Amino acid sequence: MRKYAVIYRSVFMENLQYAANIAMGFAGYFVFIYIFIRLWDYIYQTPEELIAGYTKEQMIWYVMMTEMIWFASNSSSVARNVTADIRGGNIAYLMNKPYHYTLYILTKYTGEWSIRLPMYAGLAVVIGMLMVGPVPRFHIIRLPVMILCIILGITINAVFKLCISLFSFWIEDATPFQWLYDKLILVVGTIFPIEIFPEFLQPFFKLTPIYTVCYGPAKLIVDFDTGKCVEILSAQILYLAAGCGLMFLVYRKGVKKLYVNGG
Amino acid sequence: MSTVVNRENAVNILTVFKNQLRVCLLSVKYNIMREMVNKVTFVTNILFMMLNNATILVQWVILFHLREEVGGYTMKEIMLLWGMTAASYGLSHVLFARVFSLPELIISGKLDAYLVQPKNVLLSVMTSATNVSAIGDFLYGLVVIGIFCTGVSGLYLLPLFVLTGTAIFVAYALLLGSLSFWFVRMDMLSGQMMMGMISFATYPDGIFKGVSRFLLYFIIPVGMAVYHPVHMMISFDKRLLLTVLVYTFLLGTAAVTAFYRGLRRYSSSSLMEARL
Amino acid sequence: MQAIRVENLSKTFQVKRKEKGMKGSIQAIFHPQMEEVKAVDGVSFTVEEGEILAFIGPNGAGKSTTIKMLTGILYPDGGRVEVLGIDPTKKRKQLAYNIGTVFGQKEQLWTHLTPYDNFLFFSAIYDIPDKEAKERIGELAERFELGAFINTPVRNLSLGQRIRCEIVASLIHKPRVLFLDEPTIGLDPVVKEMIRSLIRQMNEELHTTIFLTSHDVGDIEKLCRRIIIVNAGKIVLDDSMEHLRNKDLADTPLENIIMKIYKSEERGAVL
Repeated sequence: MRKYAVIYRSVFMENLQYAANIAMGFAGYFVFIYIFIRLWDYIYQTPEELIAGYTKEQMIWYVMMTEMIWFASNSSSVARNVTADIRGGNIAYLMNKPYHYTLYILTKYTGEWSIRLPMYAGLAVVIGMLMVGPVPRFHIIRLPVMILCIILGITINAVFKLCISLFSFWIEDATPFQWLYDKLILVVGTIFPIEIFPEFLQPFFKLTPIYTVCYGPAKLIVDFDTGKCVEILSAQILYLAAGCGLMFLVYRKGVKKLYVNGG
Repeated sequence: MSTVVNRENAVNILTVFKNQLRVCLLSVKYNIMREMVNKVTFVTNILFMMLNNATILVQWVILFHLREEVGGYTMKEIMLLWGMTAASYGLSHVLFARVFSLPELIISGKLDAYLVQPKNVLLSVMTSATNVSAIGDFLYGLVVIGIFCTGVSGLYLLPLFVLTGTAIFVAYALLLGSLSFWFVRMDMLSGQMMMGMISFATYPDGIFKGVSRFLLYFIIPVGMAVYHPVHMMISFDKRLLLTVLVYTFLLGTAAVTAFYRGLRRYSSSSLMEARL
Repeated sequence: MQAIRVENLSKTFQVKRKEKGMKGSIQAIFHPQMEEVKAVDGVSFTVEEGEILAFIGPNGAGKSTTIKMLTGILYPDGGRVEVLGIDPTKKRKQLAYNIGTVFGQKEQLWTHLTPYDNFLFFSAIYDIPDKEAKERIGELAERFELGAFINTPVRNLSLGQRIRCEIVASLIHKPRVLFLDEPTIGLDPVVKEMIRSLIRQMNEELHTTIFLTSHDVGDIEKLCRRIIIVNAGKIVLDDSMEHLRNKDLADTPLENIIMKIYKSEERGAVL
């Protein structure tokens, strides 16, 4: 465990130097949120109108939170770099080190978002307070559980992206599958809450990572409910366990293939 | 003792131009050939990018379910907007992909290789890479317009506007990318600005008002690259056309000037860690 | 005629410094510490046409920076450069038609194409008409014995074959000065020997001036008649190989002599 702590610390320190670079990424976040504020301004005709059970403020805060998770967890460590390691043959050197490759990558990734998430959270709060107004019925006491939920969401996302990257053991380029996964998360869970979709599709969405990665945390922030909270957290833990199981399995099979066929 | 070869003065401008064009076309051809070495990857990249773009249709189906029009646009106009953006983005990234990663080349000192060639540095750099998935974007743009926008009266203007759109995207990227000659940390910002531009270009301009509208037409040139062309294809306006053409020309000139100013700095710079 | 003429050439770089630890990381964000490094510091030398010159020095001595200034990639801060009578800072393109560059650690060739297609591409860059280009390629392929693999994609070639193709690609336009930056790096002894004999052949038959940097003593011993050693941006030795051998140090292997010079800080401390 100690070695992962050391890896985490050094990645964290290294990324701290790029804090200014991360701040440059704020522009992209701002543009996205700005477009959505305008869009929902146009679509909500009266201030009291509810769409899919959300007020305008809730709808915008929902997008702000899911986008915050999206931007904070956006990193090439679990996607492009893993694919490059595997395709480029670098993996041969990394897998014989005294740590588990996938955990090493996840630790690195954690070191990255631990800087990005607080920065984006700060930005989201500033934009939200200035352009939208406070989150309705928000209580500071629920903050810890919300943060826990966001962190679990980010980690689950990384595990799934890592799994997709590991398919590079078999296929030339896993990047196209990353796009599709990203787009699924983006279109179905990020820009709209899932209640906006036709009712018959909703149970299906609950089975996809969307429910635990972005919908869950954002839903808890804009519309807290204790029952919902328990449901989402248990789903997240289940997902994390299943995702990690899949990740170890895929990695083991991939490495075996590498030993049999060479790089 | 043989004399120094001075081909540049010996041949006329037309030949110089012809030779340059030949090298550029060869570059683009070889780039695409390189990507085609693995045919399966090549095709999946293109198809998945088209599929990837198509997922956004879901968003608009939902939004048009909530309101009949968004910012004065119906599905037909939105798809024209999307098609224009995807086609221009695609073409610019197929032919001139390196412009979009110019900051990286500058910061890591990779322009050196182009400086020892007796050809136009900017053109050599721009055409030195391609982006396969952008072929998917380009095709997606055409397909979407073909499916949703056949009734649009000004569709014959599409080729022209895809060209001006491509030129504006490339020039804007070149202008922002060239800032890296002066400011090391510009790479992220210029990447974000390009992303922001694409984001704006896929939403109707009718939802933006006031200052942001001004910004979109002049500072982030989405208006000139996409909104005006879409309006003109719906109802033609000679003055608008002239505006777009003049703007494209001016932006292009500014971008090329910035690049060459920067290049002079690159060669005389004293802040090049990677180049020691 | 002098192929290269360098007078009092200088180039200073600014390098960022970071202090250790968390405090340093944070400090680097707000107040990056800059430090000046004199990469090239008042260097003067000339190279006669047809000469083979070894330009060597420890890592970071300023070799690459000097080559970059000679080829017009970098502009000097001070001093003058003339290559074939051309000022690289003023007429970079014109100079480019007359010089060739091979960087052992950087590939110029397109790896998915055959050497033949690559050569045609370089011919286009140097405005050589197709017919002339094909003749030239045929001639070079014969001289460098590329026939067996000229139609095999570069990525399938061995390192030695690839380097040979790199050198041929840089000769397509009949350059009068060739800059070779560590051309034999990573090659096995047989291939090294072959490359050396090619370089010698090129020099003898085409009268090409060769400016060579290398860490390989064999390259220097077997190819060069003259040697310039730079250290910390300054020339510490500029002598003919013959003269160097006839000194008291005649019995010492060249490698040891070079090592001594690298280690000594002061100019002329050894000799």
